Amino acid sequence: MIHRFSVKSTRSSEPDIERRRRAFGLPDLQFWFDYYIEFDDALSANDAALVCGTLGDQVGTRVAMDEPFPLGTITVLHRRGVVDNENTSILSMCELLGLRAVAGKVARCYQSSSPRLREVVKSMTFNDTIEEIHGNPPRFDTLVPAGAYLPAETYNLRALDKDSLAQLGRAGGRNLSLQQMLRIRYVQESLDLPSVTDVLLEALDARWSDHCAHTTWKSLGRLLDRLVAASRDTANPNIVSMFHDNAGVWNFYDGYALAIKAETHNGPSAISAYFGQLTKLGGVLRDILGTGLGADPIGCFEYTATGPTDAEPPIAGRPGPRQIAHDTIQAIKEYGNTFGVPMMWSRMAFHPGYRAKPFALGGSIGILPLSAAQRGRPEPGDLVVLIGGLTGNEGMHGASASSAGSEMDVAAVQIGAPLEQVKFRKALIELRDENCLRALTDVGGAGLNSAVGEIGEPSGIWINTALVPLKTSALPMWRILLSESQERMLLAIPPQAYRSAQRILDRHLVRSTVIGRFTNTGCYCVFHNSHLDEQTVIALAAGEVPTDRGELGFDVPYKLCDLPVDARQVGAPPEVRRGRTQWPDWAPDQLASLLARVAADPDVASQHYADAQYDTTVQGNTVHGPRYGTLTSVPSSYWACTPVDGSPAAAVFSTAFNPWLFGLHPVRALRQLFLSLLFSLVLAGVEPNDICMCDNFYTPHLTEHWAEWLVAMVEELASLVRRFGVPVISGKDSSAGSTRTDEGVVSVPPAVFLSGLGKIPNYKNLLGEAWTDEGSLLVRIGPPTPSPAGTVAARLLGIGDGTVDEVPLDQAEQFLAALRDSRSLFRTGTRLGPGGVAAQLVTGGLATGMGVQLDATATGFEALFAEHRLGALVEIDPADLVTLPADLHPVVVGRLTTDGRITANGGDLLTPEVRRAWTSAFSELLA
Amino acid sequence: MKPTVNVLYLPGTNCHAETIRAFARAGARPQLVFLADIISGAARLDDADILCIPGGFSFGDHLGAGAVAALMLRTRLAEQFQACTDRPMIGICNGFQIILRAGRFGPGASLKVNDSGTFENRPIQRHVVSHDNTSLWLDGLAGATLTFPCAHGEGRFVYEPQTVTKSANWKTALRYPTNENPDGSDADIGGITSADGLAFGLMNHPERSTEPQTQIAFFENGVKAVSNGRSRIVGSLLGQALRSQPGRRTARVGPARRSRLSLDPDAPMPSDAGPMHRSSSVTR
Repeated sequence: MIHRFSVKSTRSSEPDIERRRRAFGLPDLQFWFDYYIEFDDALSANDAALVCGTLGDQVGTRVAMDEPFPLGTITVLHRRGVVDNENTSILSMCELLGLRAVAGKVARCYQSSSPRLREVVKSMTFNDTIEEIHGNPPRFDTLVPAGAYLPAETYNLRALDKDSLAQLGRAGGRNLSLQQMLRIRYVQESLDLPSVTDVLLEALDARWSDHCAHTTWKSLGRLLDRLVAASRDTANPNIVSMFHDNAGVWNFYDGYALAIKAETHNGPSAISAYFGQLTKLGGVLRDILGTGLGADPIGCFEYTATGPTDAEPPIAGRPGPRQIAHDTIQAIKEYGNTFGVPMMWSRMAFHPGYRAKPFALGGSIGILPLSAAQRGRPEPGDLVVLIGGLTGNEGMHGASASSAGSEMDVAAVQIGAPLEQVKFRKALIELRDENCLRALTDVGGAGLNSAVGEIGEPSGIWINTALVPLKTSALPMWRILLSESQERMLLAIPPQAYRSAQRILDRHLVRSTVIGRFTNTGCYCVFHNSHLDEQTVIALAAGEVPTDRGELGFDVPYKLCDLPVDARQVGAPPEVRRGRTQWPDWAPDQLASLLARVAADPDVASQHYADAQYDTTVQGNTVHGPRYGTLTSVPSSYWACTPVDGSPAAAVFSTAFNPWLFGLHPVRALRQLFLSLLFSLVLAGVEPNDICMCDNFYTPHLTEHWAEWLVAMVEELASLVRRFGVPVISGKDSSAGSTRTDEGVVSVPPAVFLSGLGKIPNYKNLLGEAWTDEGSLLVRIGPPTPSPAGTVAARLLGIGDGTVDEVPLDQAEQFLAALRDSRSLFRTGTRLGPGGVAAQLVTGGLATGMGVQLDATATGFEALFAEHRLGALVEIDPADLVTLPADLHPVVVGRLTTDGRITANGGDLLTPEVRRAWTSAFSELLA
Repeated sequence: MKPTVNVLYLPGTNCHAETIRAFARAGARPQLVFLADIISGAARLDDADILCIPGGFSFGDHLGAGAVAALMLRTRLAEQFQACTDRPMIGICNGFQIILRAGRFGPGASLKVNDSGTFENRPIQRHVVSHDNTSLWLDGLAGATLTFPCAHGEGRFVYEPQTVTKSANWKTALRYPTNENPDGSDADIGGITSADGLAFGLMNHPERSTEPQTQIAFFENGVKAVSNGRSRIVGSLLGQALRSQPGRRTARVGPARRSRLSLDPDAPMPSDAGPMHRSSSVTR
């Protein structure tokens, strides 16, 4: 018997409902949750009252059972074939009340008199892959998913001509080219098989996608190998592991190491930003968990660039920039806060290049014992153990579709459930520390296929998909294998350690299932046999393969699973010819109005509206950042934490990215931003040799010379790595940044996001940022990059498209040495960036309440608004000015006061308009 | 002998590490107590001097923040939770939500969605300790202003006015200074204690404070109260004495129930769902 319990507020207004009213633009909106519960027996009045009382135990709440829908109600809930994330909790509640229930669902209910309600709900908060929408209470025969298993489809590729092969390769959402289909035919021939299954087609479609196989980078001359070689050439002793595991690993102190990883979910976030961003963060956290024998995340960061908010998305029906921004905030706070990892850095940007496909980047750092920092190696006979969430029908073709460009649809978007991941987070650490793990990896892009395929290579592996716990009642074999359902990890556990492992997992209430064994056959084997149970799999001898494999998906030697990639020669990119633009020669009284416009730009303005929703103090280890300031909270130049209990040693983190600059000259931009990141960490107090980086390339594939620019950027990065001894130890490439839209091809600028990780023995030696002393001098240091090109102010003035400064590397090296040697002279220091010196003056003043009397030479447009990205604004004792070495390129900006004004030419630049612009512009932009 | 603290670890708890550190620095002997162990009987809520329920998102906030855990404390674990009412108890953030819903502070009060409608992260949040609350948790802190982080989405404390009477079940422990209320709590209340002063609930996180003394101030008071014999620990000592007898089992309320899917993720689902399960056992 199924009953519906409506949990409603008795008050005319609740904050979460008010928030939805504003977001939906429906001032009369009502919102509540309906809980559908299927009971074994009829429900007595007393039992119904028990359930109502439990669900409605909060002040100002009432619960009604089976109440008719008020007029104008829309309800959204999980599809009938999908197990609701809250199912287990609903059943827990019933059990605790002494009631027998078999399934539960929760529905979101919206009610309004507006005829637009359904359209608004569908566009803002509905995922067609897993949800259904109704205008009346839906009728269920049962809430328990039902259905039957569909056998695999088979194809004799030897009997197909090229046209048919090509057609088959693209059928059913696959992205296999003719060349790839011919390769699969070769596999069939080599193994003398009568046919191949759709399971093999889907598995190789994912394995050979750009996402998994980095085919674009390989085709351009094995670009990743160039970065790895450059990093290896630094011979930096802190490198523990790079580009080999799920994250890069960097030596720390006290017998520990740090892990760093960042990844993107650009394609999914273009379709459903909430789910795309939720699973982005969940995925990168799992990468950290799956590094070495298990690392624990200690920080996360987030960057999202979408199109300008005043433009419609170029693909009809896709969410617009404001929707993407709001959904991003909702998703990131939900995952990060629930998981319990502090936000180190977050930023949103609005750039026309990302209006079709956003740049949705998320990253994390973690900590693990040095002794467990190397990637594990399964041994033949080890158990293949799947832990975490259920496997469902979502995220299909996520990897191959994201590699293919714009042909992604909503079925390819993954869905997240952070609770499952929180549950196994601590369990994994215990498994590692109790020596129950031989190896582990996360299940992410391309689902089990990628995880099983990678962890089993080269020695061999087999799995029985019939043992995989499902969200739905049944799925075809290929969907089980390729599902990108989240919150799952794959473990290699020695049989003799399994009982201990099971005890740990049970203690943490983590779902775990043995689904296969590692072998020494050199083959990757997938089959579906519902009669082969877990206990039988466990009881098999090492190396023993089940005689009855039921329905075979494929059994292919690993050496046949690789696809050679044809390399192409690429020349140098064309020379960029742009005129040198000049800073205007305006009257001083126009400075303040420009400053207000600069302060309001999203690249400069406070993003408190977003930042304030991310937990920055959980774990209790943060010692600096992501914001500082006693009066107003302003963004910091770096973040630091002390992750080892009782030790003052700190991990230090920062980032560098500027899409405007990359759009003008990708190589020069890369150089400036690499150096900016390096110098900012050294300014903070980190030794250059203790710094590593993570790179995330996001490049177009349909623009002229896209390949030339990509190769040139990689070569520039490799050159910088060698020159400065700063290795890149982790990274990803996203090479499908061009999207076919209703208005033509929209491409992202060729760019790379750099994140930097460093370490310092004692956090007390980190340089503070908040101004301290009246009378101190503020000095700009750093090799100058005075060009207006790519700056916020110049963009607002319409002169932003000029020549990007090329920084001489000798000068940069000399500055680095001088910076390192002069740090003790700085009382405080902040890095320069968007908005230049002017922006730092605003934030410094707001943070501390102090003021600045500007030097007469520091009041021009160039002095204030040029973005000297390699530089910093440092506070020094005036007596130390003469001791600053010339290689620091010191320029006096002004003197600190206590009046809270930025005075220039007799006027105050920190006007109420500037203050308001900086404080409120971002939230107004998203309104 | 150091006072012992049971720090309850639920699925979704994520502030346990810093909470344990704070209690350890305060001079206690804290230990994590897993829900699965309590359910199996391998551990108990009430076999320590202090019960602490730390922050997090227990059960994913399903059915409401703290709802499932609170129901557990009112039903299956009612006896053990009731036994803990005679000793110091502290609920932080999600822990406060849980013990409030579990009835530790009586009826008529709830923690609801913040005024802003969303999560509020404020690393620097001031709290003024009540002048007239003699709870052991606030010893020596009357009128003090303590700064520690706010980080929650459902921390707005609301109460029905009729619950604030001479026989009230709770007392104000902390208030936000004027114009610094992060969540819209009624009367700027930032924390409460039970009428007998043994239980303390607060939404914000002293264990994350960057000021060492603030970080442990409350925890130190709890530890000190146990050490000085100020807390009502008779039950705990008696309980310890009883449990030291071999063969003793905890008396159950109602018939013992077999662990099933709701608490055991691998317990059977109805047959149509296919092989989604295996039998699960906890080896002791």
